[in-house]
Amino acid sequence: MKNMSSVIWYLYEFARKSFVEGFTDAKSKHDIVEKPDRFRDFPEVIKEYCIGCGACTKSCPSPQAIKLVRDGDDSEEDGITYPVVNERSCIRCGFCAEVCPTDPKTLLCGENHLIKEEFNIIPSKRQYLVDDFLCIKCKKCIKSCPVEGAIIEKDNKIMVDQVKCISCGNCLDACPVKGAMKGVFIDNLEDQKAVIHLVVNTLEEFIESKEKELQSLPDEKLLKLQLPLSEIWDKALKIIPDEEVALEIIENATDRLKIRIIAWDDSKCKKCRLCVDECPTGAITYNPDTNDVKRDSNKCLRCSNCYQTCPFCFVKYFIAKFLLDEFDGEKVILITLNESQLANN
Amino acid sequence: MLNTFKDIVRKSSIHVCLVNCGGCNGCDIEIVALLSPRYDLEQYGIYVHNNPREADVILITGAVTEQWIKKIKRIYSKAPEPKVVACVGNCPLSGDVFNQEGGNVHAPVSDFICVDAEISGCPPRPSEILEAILTVAPGAIASRGREANGKNKKNQVTGGK
Repeated sequence: MKNMSSVIWYLYEFARKSFVEGFTDAKSKHDIVEKPDRFRDFPEVIKEYCIGCGACTKSCPSPQAIKLVRDGDDSEEDGITYPVVNERSCIRCGFCAEVCPTDPKTLLCGENHLIKEEFNIIPSKRQYLVDDFLCIKCKKCIKSCPVEGAIIEKDNKIMVDQVKCISCGNCLDACPVKGAMKGVFIDNLEDQKAVIHLVVNTLEEFIESKEKELQSLPDEKLLKLQLPLSEIWDKALKIIPDEEVALEIIENATDRLKIRIIAWDDSKCKKCRLCVDECPTGAITYNPDTNDVKRDSNKCLRCSNCYQTCPFCFVKYFIAKFLLDEFDGEKVILITLNESQLANN
Repeated sequence: MLNTFKDIVRKSSIHVCLVNCGGCNGCDIEIVALLSPRYDLEQYGIYVHNNPREADVILITGAVTEQWIKKIKRIYSKAPEPKVVACVGNCPLSGDVFNQEGGNVHAPVSDFICVDAEISGCPPRPSEILEAILTVAPGAIASRGREANGKNKKNQVTGGK
């Protein structure tokens, strides 16, 4: 009896007109080609708002996806600088739109989630934050925290409740991942910036003073340099007198720092001037009187466009990485330089 | 008469071979989504066989790692004429995020084989892949089939091949 009813049901189902139509003429509806509203498409560029800061190129995870270009100058005004998105490389992540500092934004890509600073009521020189990118969710910080509810897990993210935090620093010691739990200094941001500037500028000058060694560096070889910390230390202490704070800021800055170095040998340059038009900030200039191509290092963004343009491969492009370490009882900054493996031309 | 018949068959039945030459698998998942009832690839007469010897269309994903350089050329040579190559995603076009400082990928894939269609996106939407296959493949396969026929006849006369 049971079988009978199901057979009748199937017969009834197969005999229906809509089933027969669908069976003989199956077609997807048009809505499969429509993109839903929430879909984040390739970023849209509004040229006029761009200030040429280069934040979009730095934030982009794909090396060839976004480039700053500059229109040619005419007699009245300089050409405008703006980003160009290469759709063959873009992964539609929207980071460029997220970091774009102009208001209104030069780059539009889906929704933007602005990061807001949190407020702490307890007077402390540090504010404790979890870096969600590095955090492994081991919850050791929650166990070590003396205040219940100061470190919480929400939406599979570990977060510090700034209102409940007493800034004891236990979580910093308990965290097994370097940099996942951060105790950032909050009260002297401008001074911190000045120290970071000092470190970066000193390192850059130091590397540029070694330009001859860089020029003669064979392919695929590293150049290792050392700069004693004592050269920066006194100046840094004048800006921030607290030794603990100053050392940590210098350490953090050198750990993450990557300096791009552009160098070329003037005697080898063929003066073809291809790089002059390619430079997004107009840092490379040609002087017809002296037949000289010069780079203004203060204007230069280190975007590597000139390196990629140079048809003779005379422009060299290096990447420097740093580590603060102890050497013979003295703190030194170790520097490693290697030639970029980004293809030129 | 025979040619028209061949054209109709070639246009209405397209066999696809999917080759991932070192990607993250994201584009492959989008292609699998094409087989699902929502997109239903087979209603257009497109069949995924993953066998280059019976493929009309080779879909390439991935940024061409070192091991794939020889293999991709070999797979291309195995596919019978007329054939169409379509790159799915940004990896075969530019190397995308894998083409980093110190990376060891050999994108673009057009350095090694001829590419007819490019579908950008990381990954592209299934509908974009479908659109590209349907706009390029039937016409290209049919016209190339006719060219290949002409060549074969000439070769027979001169005793070539």
